[in-house]
Amino acid sequence: MQRRQFLSAAGASLAAGLASPARAQSTDYRALVCIFLYGGNDGMNMVVPRDAGRHGQYAAVRKALALPQGSLVPLGADYGLHPSMAALAPAWAAQSLAPVFNVGPLYQPLTRDEYLNHKARGKTVPESLFSHHHQQLLWETAHHDASRLSGWGGRAAAARSGTVMAGGGNGRFGLTEHQAALVFPAPGAAFGLEGWFGNQNAARLAALRTLHAESSEQILHNAYAGRQREAMALADQLGPTLRINPKDNPGEAINSAFAPLIDAQRALTTPLARQLYQIAKLIEYRANLPAGLGGSRHIYFATLGGFDTHGNQIGTDVLQGTHANLLKTLADAMAAFHAATEDLGLAANVTTFTQSDFGRTFAPNSSRGTDHAWGNHQLVLGGAVIGNATYGRYPELALGGPDDAGQAQWERLGRWVPTASVDQYAATLLRWWGLGEGQIDGVLPNLRNFGSARGLNFLRA
Amino acid sequence: MAALLAGCGGGGGGGADGSASSTAGGPASVPDVAAQPTSLADASRLADQASFGATEAMLQAIMADGPARWVAQQMRADVSRYTRGGSDAIHRYTGRDYCADNNLGASCWADNYSHEPLASDFFRNAVSRPDQLRQRVALALQQILVVSSLEVEGTYGLRHYQNLFLAHAFGNWRTVLEKVALSPLMGDYLNNLNNDRTDPNENFARELLQLFSLGTCELEADGNLRGGACQPTYDNAQVRAYAYALTGWTYPAGGASPWCQGTGGPDGNCRYYQGDMVPRPGAHDDQPRALLSGVTLPAGRGAPAALQGVLDSLMAHPNIGPFIGRQLIQHLVTSNPSPAYVRRVATAFDTGRHAPFGSGTKGDLQATVAAVLLDPEARGDSAGAQAGRLREPVQYFAGVLRALGGQTDGRVLTWSWGADLGQHVFRPSSVFNFYPPDYPVAGTALQGPQFGILNAGSGLARINYLNFLLYWGGAAPSAGMADALGTRVDLQAFEADAADPARLVDRMLRLAVGGRMSPAGRQAIIDAVAAWDSRAGAPAYLHERIKTAAYLVFASPHYQVTR
Repeated sequence: MQRRQFLSAAGASLAAGLASPARAQSTDYRALVCIFLYGGNDGMNMVVPRDAGRHGQYAAVRKALALPQGSLVPLGADYGLHPSMAALAPAWAAQSLAPVFNVGPLYQPLTRDEYLNHKARGKTVPESLFSHHHQQLLWETAHHDASRLSGWGGRAAAARSGTVMAGGGNGRFGLTEHQAALVFPAPGAAFGLEGWFGNQNAARLAALRTLHAESSEQILHNAYAGRQREAMALADQLGPTLRINPKDNPGEAINSAFAPLIDAQRALTTPLARQLYQIAKLIEYRANLPAGLGGSRHIYFATLGGFDTHGNQIGTDVLQGTHANLLKTLADAMAAFHAATEDLGLAANVTTFTQSDFGRTFAPNSSRGTDHAWGNHQLVLGGAVIGNATYGRYPELALGGPDDAGQAQWERLGRWVPTASVDQYAATLLRWWGLGEGQIDGVLPNLRNFGSARGLNFLRA
Repeated sequence: MAALLAGCGGGGGGGADGSASSTAGGPASVPDVAAQPTSLADASRLADQASFGATEAMLQAIMADGPARWVAQQMRADVSRYTRGGSDAIHRYTGRDYCADNNLGASCWADNYSHEPLASDFFRNAVSRPDQLRQRVALALQQILVVSSLEVEGTYGLRHYQNLFLAHAFGNWRTVLEKVALSPLMGDYLNNLNNDRTDPNENFARELLQLFSLGTCELEADGNLRGGACQPTYDNAQVRAYAYALTGWTYPAGGASPWCQGTGGPDGNCRYYQGDMVPRPGAHDDQPRALLSGVTLPAGRGAPAALQGVLDSLMAHPNIGPFIGRQLIQHLVTSNPSPAYVRRVATAFDTGRHAPFGSGTKGDLQATVAAVLLDPEARGDSAGAQAGRLREPVQYFAGVLRALGGQTDGRVLTWSWGADLGQHVFRPSSVFNFYPPDYPVAGTALQGPQFGILNAGSGLARINYLNFLLYWGGAAPSAGMADALGTRVDLQAFEADAADPARLVDRMLRLAVGGRMSPAGRQAIIDAVAAWDSRAGAPAYLHERIKTAAYLVFASPHYQVTR
């Protein structure tokens, strides 16, 4: 079934939704919020070992990029966050935040030795490792083959008759074979057809709709016209909610949570903050959403780009610079969003998680940056997270060691072979969100290759 | 025709920051081709494939000359160039702050560091310069060999880089790759500049293989995966071998700054974007390295010889013809070419010939572009169900202006309309361009790269662009911009037909879509046009009719998706 059918059926439910209180009171609601960090986040500088032994190993390899032990935001005794992520310290203390170590695309469990000899061992290795485009696709599709068209978010949403809603663009995560994600604009943006359609211009609007209702022998024509019909319908239905913004709506409930990210002109200060503000609003006003968007189960997709830090990842001071700024943007927005869900009384109903193309080489290159790698650390945040704990296994900090995919001496750079798969990570999230085991197998076809290890157990039931 | 020939100066020839024309393989002279008249429908298709959009004069010319003769004429047209914006003075200045110290005013950053002067030239040239095909090929090249103003600054450097693509649009792929590999701007963008044999940075080496020449999977000559599944073109050790091979380059001489004392020594030259990078003594890896296609680099070869070895290995690889050929088809003609079409274009790339076009040297772009545009799958009155492509935003912006007697200085087509529609020219979010070539169109089995930036918000903005041009009167010329034009249409040419709604609509449909429209769609437009009658008062109602017709015809999916 195509989304436009849902939407045309949704007019009635929209009217019903508006008649009831806008703030739905049902707690049978769960939302997953994916934040995709485009470019490949350097997870090795996001979550760093704090114990003296491993921090020494880390500093010896990371050299100029090494964060001083004392600068880290403690995650217990063993690990710390990058100092620019201090906004997330309260969530760790409140047991709502957890790092998940060394996750990446896998077809099946894989040791370093099996990777290096995969043909002889009959092991399947994910396609086009270390390539941005392909590894983004593998993370977004939860597959080992980058030609897969649909995203795991889209497939999961479809299993509950819903649609992924996205703030940061048309990533593959929200696609299904049949429909694209709903991509919404920033708060306050005009969302709809502009211009005056009264009097004689009413005939112009009618003709515009007629032209978009025509079918052609040309497939792309029909696909384009279908998208535009959906856009016009969505603008009518969601425009008023999406237009709410801190400047024009000072009394909006989520404003106080986002206050650290609202400037003197009452505009949100970062692109990620704008996306998460929209998502918080769509969660708050979920009763106004067309039923075709998922009812009581939503999946959202937000993005933050710029993580491809091959050069000058740090500034003149190791605590400053490109990567520090990106992680601050991430942490500040995650913290504000989490606070908004708390204010809405929905913190335990919303789980936020990160994904990224890949991790980066543990050993830096000669331009004060890092290159493409594989397994990477992620963050999960929300009231249902069993936080104040870490999940998965942190790699052994040895170049050429048991986790390093590099073989020859000159390519042992600490590209970690993942010890947890995207499938296990996604399955953990989707089980909490409400899919049964059979549905999970349908969404994550490679999960069965991991036997009984069907999750990473970082969420409450 | 006058509008077509007007426009800013700066014709062909190498300027101070221009690129000299190719040497290796040398561009072929353009053949003489006899006229072979064609239909309106075919001419309309070619206009969408090979220009920024039809004008009535262009359609007449293509119909009279036929595709081959018209393409040959396009290849001979005077070369447009980027000429606006500041000079290399920003990177020769030894004070602290070039703009502030010299009191250069509020537009100093935009004029000297940003892509905005290029964007102005880009849209001015697209709307009014005659070498339309060259500009479209250059647009394709800049979207394959991507550099973004998001990460590199220096208007003169961006200009120098983008002029490469205009100069070499009908040259040779190897020359283009060599120029890109030696570009200090690319060197900065993908971190190959001052790359050192100790811990080399892999960024440029990887994207040179993956995006600029071969792709990650082995291909058949028709572009399909060899053996039906992805077999890696190279492994990570080979990427690393290329990274080593490409070490040892620094900025050309000429730069200076208070922070830089470099003279090509251990720290390299100072930042400077004019001319090619130069070898940096001692920084080039001198170990033997095995590259693809059986090419090996001997010990002690030096950076220039290593680069030639790299180019040899790429140009000899069987992937390069289908990999580059298919993308050129996607940028110009159709998002979903048949394997046979890809094979024919790859053959033209490999043999350097598409008779009578081409030099016979592998990688010849005159032959390749001719093969793309003159292929049976691109030509004719009717196209198959899989044909066509979603008009990319910059093509759409310029296309409406060209059709409606418009002009622009580009000012509103970048940060505002460009961003709203997802294609802020010269400023893609990464080296992966605005959209990937394989973006899947949901609900179909087809690819549609431009669907990667089509969503509810950008889709409605597409239609709202017409509201802006037709009902808001566009944008007035900007204060503070040299020879500002604003962004406006001129509907006067259509007044002669506005008294007769059907006549007006049919004229607009011929211009925009080669007359292709269903009877019901045509009637709906005519009805909307006729809703304005003389009771609304003359001449206002005639003007409203023209605006109504233009809004509907250019908003129609028939226009948005080319054939």
